[in-house]
Amino acid sequence: MALDKEKYQAFEDIVGKRNISQDPGVLETYRCIAQQSSAHYGPYVDHMTPLPQAVILPGSTEEVQNIIKLCNKYKIQFKASTTFWSAMGFIGSDYAVQIDMRRMKYLEIDEKNQMAIIEPHAIGAVVQAEAMKVGLNLNVPGVGCSSSVLASTSGWVGFGPSSYFMGCAGENLLGAEWVLPDGRIMRTGSLGAGAGWFCGEGPGPSARGIARGFAGSAGTMGICCRLAIRLHPWPGPANFPTEGTIPAYRAVLPDNFKTYTLCFPSWDAYAQAFNLFFENQDILYLGHRQFNMFGRDAKGAMVNILTDPDKQFCDLPELMKDPYIKKQTELMKIDIQVVIAGMTKRNMEYKEKAIDKILELTGGWKNEMMLKPEIVNWVLMYLLRLGHKNLNYTFCGAYEGNYGMSPNHFVTAPLMEEASEIKDKWAKKYTSIADTGGDSDMGSISIIGGGGATGWEFFVNFDAYDKDSIKGTKEFIDSTQEWMFKKGLGVDMGRWNADLRKSDGKNYSQEEHDAMYIKMPQPMFLTYNWKIRNVFNPNNLTGSYYRTLTPEKLKTD
Amino acid sequence: MSLQDFRAMMERCSNCSYCKWIPFDKMKSQRFAENCPSSSYYNFNTYSARGRFQLAQTLMDGRCDYSDTVTEVIHSCMACGLCDVSCKVCRYNLEPLEHNIELKVSAVEKGKILPEQKVIIDNLKKQMTMLPGKTKVKRLDWMKDLDLKDILKDKCDIAFFPGCKYSYDENLQNVCRSVIDIFKKAGVIVGTLGKSDNCCAGRALQMGFREEYTKAATANIKALEKSGVKTLVTPCSDCYHTFKRQYAKLGLKIQVLHTVEYLNTLIKEGKLKLTKEVPLTVTYHDPCHLGRLGEEYIPWEGKEKKILNQVHTWEPRRPRYNGAYGIYDAPREIIQSIPGVKLVEMERIREYSWCCGAGGGCSETYHEFASWTANERVTEANSTGADALVTACPWCESSFSNAVDENGKKIKVMDIIELVQQAI
Repeated sequence: MALDKEKYQAFEDIVGKRNISQDPGVLETYRCIAQQSSAHYGPYVDHMTPLPQAVILPGSTEEVQNIIKLCNKYKIQFKASTTFWSAMGFIGSDYAVQIDMRRMKYLEIDEKNQMAIIEPHAIGAVVQAEAMKVGLNLNVPGVGCSSSVLASTSGWVGFGPSSYFMGCAGENLLGAEWVLPDGRIMRTGSLGAGAGWFCGEGPGPSARGIARGFAGSAGTMGICCRLAIRLHPWPGPANFPTEGTIPAYRAVLPDNFKTYTLCFPSWDAYAQAFNLFFENQDILYLGHRQFNMFGRDAKGAMVNILTDPDKQFCDLPELMKDPYIKKQTELMKIDIQVVIAGMTKRNMEYKEKAIDKILELTGGWKNEMMLKPEIVNWVLMYLLRLGHKNLNYTFCGAYEGNYGMSPNHFVTAPLMEEASEIKDKWAKKYTSIADTGGDSDMGSISIIGGGGATGWEFFVNFDAYDKDSIKGTKEFIDSTQEWMFKKGLGVDMGRWNADLRKSDGKNYSQEEHDAMYIKMPQPMFLTYNWKIRNVFNPNNLTGSYYRTLTPEKLKTD
Repeated sequence: MSLQDFRAMMERCSNCSYCKWIPFDKMKSQRFAENCPSSSYYNFNTYSARGRFQLAQTLMDGRCDYSDTVTEVIHSCMACGLCDVSCKVCRYNLEPLEHNIELKVSAVEKGKILPEQKVIIDNLKKQMTMLPGKTKVKRLDWMKDLDLKDILKDKCDIAFFPGCKYSYDENLQNVCRSVIDIFKKAGVIVGTLGKSDNCCAGRALQMGFREEYTKAATANIKALEKSGVKTLVTPCSDCYHTFKRQYAKLGLKIQVLHTVEYLNTLIKEGKLKLTKEVPLTVTYHDPCHLGRLGEEYIPWEGKEKKILNQVHTWEPRRPRYNGAYGIYDAPREIIQSIPGVKLVEMERIREYSWCCGAGGGCSETYHEFASWTANERVTEANSTGADALVTACPWCESSFSNAVDENGKKIKVMDIIELVQQAI
């Protein structure tokens, strides 16, 4: 289905002929085949999001505003996305247009005020590359440097390995320029008072809680077109001194950068170490349990494959049997990768000593294999740029985040072995998911606020081309959800979006959401969301990712 | 192969957008961060490797047809292979470049071709060259007074294969004559295929005309085998890739070298001495087909095998073409061995070099797009402050010679052979 001629022409008049299409072939490439990616629902066989009525590429805030005004006139839904990784950025109904923001890529580094003013297509890598030239850096969220910085800053929590030092993306949000779902432009913080981009909460309006969210609103309404983020010190070179043979690129950084794989004798010791890092907030530049995503049994072998341009996955079984690698892998059973960056020589010495002290207090150690220079330089490159996030998919072509247990490390750590065993048994019994050793948990030492929180995510790798593997993975996540409920741990990460998009790829209706959310233990905040939506989005044009409950339902039920 | 054989890749592509950027580890600025000419120019996701995977699925499933736009999406891929390089930083089971070419082949088989392509292919069939308007009888004019041997009749050290662009383009013929002069001075006995010298047809394959390519390639292989020559040297990067990688798939078993490799060896062996000072600051453009697509073909027959339940691998080990072992050092070593020449690098180099705009036949089919692509590279070259942009491919030279940067400024374009000639 496509827009009628008059409506299409109206949109075309805004963006110009070459920036709009309703060619069926083009439209089809704007559907998410959600079995391939981490969509946090399903996975379902042969699953696709709906076909848009048109794809529109605006080039400015003004064009976005005019597009949204037209959407209101025609009561047509819209969804904006830039890098299109995962189903969240795709439309959810048959009568909707897909807005592709990639033409909007403005980037300005304000060195003096340590901030960057960005548009949607300024991805993490380019913002970082430009910031590094003047000794600054940004928090690259866990999704990696290929994604839109604006998207994670404006619509999600945006935590990542460097959040320990730099805060989450949302915490770095300064002034922002939004086109609301009714077509008005909202400028927040200092920008709203005509005072520039430097502050997100005043002297103009602070709409941080409305504009962005995590578990509550799960995204935003309208389209954020430009915003400013806070930048942080980068005590390194103006460019990564990258060398090595593809894909084993590595960066030899100055002596004020070090990376260690810290290992612990127990999960309790691991949690204690996290706590010490949180209590002493100036030790790390970055902390992330990264390579365990390949699985407890396979990670050592995978590190050896990825740091050697001539190795491939067919080498995996042999490397997993190699006595040295096997021993090192066992020694980093409970581990985390950290990067420290000294601002001065003395600062570096302090950080080294602090790490040694934490290891002493927790009985931990530094992994020997991960201290090899070729591995160190690869890890530094990997973690500081986060440009290898597509390794998430490398095993089988598809993965889903799983468990996503409590962000409190003292709640989660005691459950890690049980969770790992569940996954390990499933992999061995049903073979639908990759069998790499049960524990495939990864995550960062992230949010500092509130005493510190930790990302927990088990990687479940499955084959997007194998229907049995897809079905089996869905069943596995259904089963872990049951376990999560029994443990009082809430919603499994693989089900985070299960209430937002149906198995046919479409939005839930308000009636369906009402029926779901009325059963929630504390549904009041969703009625609050409903009121906000009615003010900003009277025609309900932005899909069901913004969770709402009709207030009357609460009164009658 | 058929498009259907790529089905698993289409399903396993994860929409990560890596195919739109140079490898992130190599990124130095926003200005020169993008890698795919077609997705950068047209902007729609459809024009990226990811988009083409999804478009192919859609076509196979009958959810869309070959509209003019779809045909443009398919044929506007420059087949430069940079999406392939970026993808393979992380992925070990996807082949975006092979897929994009197969998508073209499939379109051509269904008659979905561009009018400009028909002219080119007709000329290949009739005149054995893919340069429209050029004729077979004029092909050897460039070497008329050079007294070159015929490898089908005489014993030679090397077979020299100039390729169509050097043979016919009057602005480039001198480059070819210079090479011959250099080789002769170094004592190398050079021969050509003489009357059997025809187009390698590599660009036909890049455009999806596999049948026409195979026919031309088979005839060329037959002539080379008949000559008994052991080494073929070509100054054209397109021809180099075609002989080294593509003809090898069809059974050609001779050594294939680019002129830069051969010259570099002569310099290292002391047979060629570069003594004259050339006071120039230059930047070097890696041609796609010499660099990332210049890797040697390794025969492989096998099948996918899953390990650890669902992890994809291949049995036996499958060769992995990701640009790691292309020809990057030889031209740089030559440039740096010339007294007075200073080499300054652009941001996108080696395996992640930006295409010149001629790839996939686009310089003949999408002029505006091809010009924009070349202009982008000249902008990058001018940003280095170099006096000249040096390259090792006539197609690149031709693209750059008409290009201007974003400020309307041109740059002196030089063939690496010209530079060598000046130093002798």
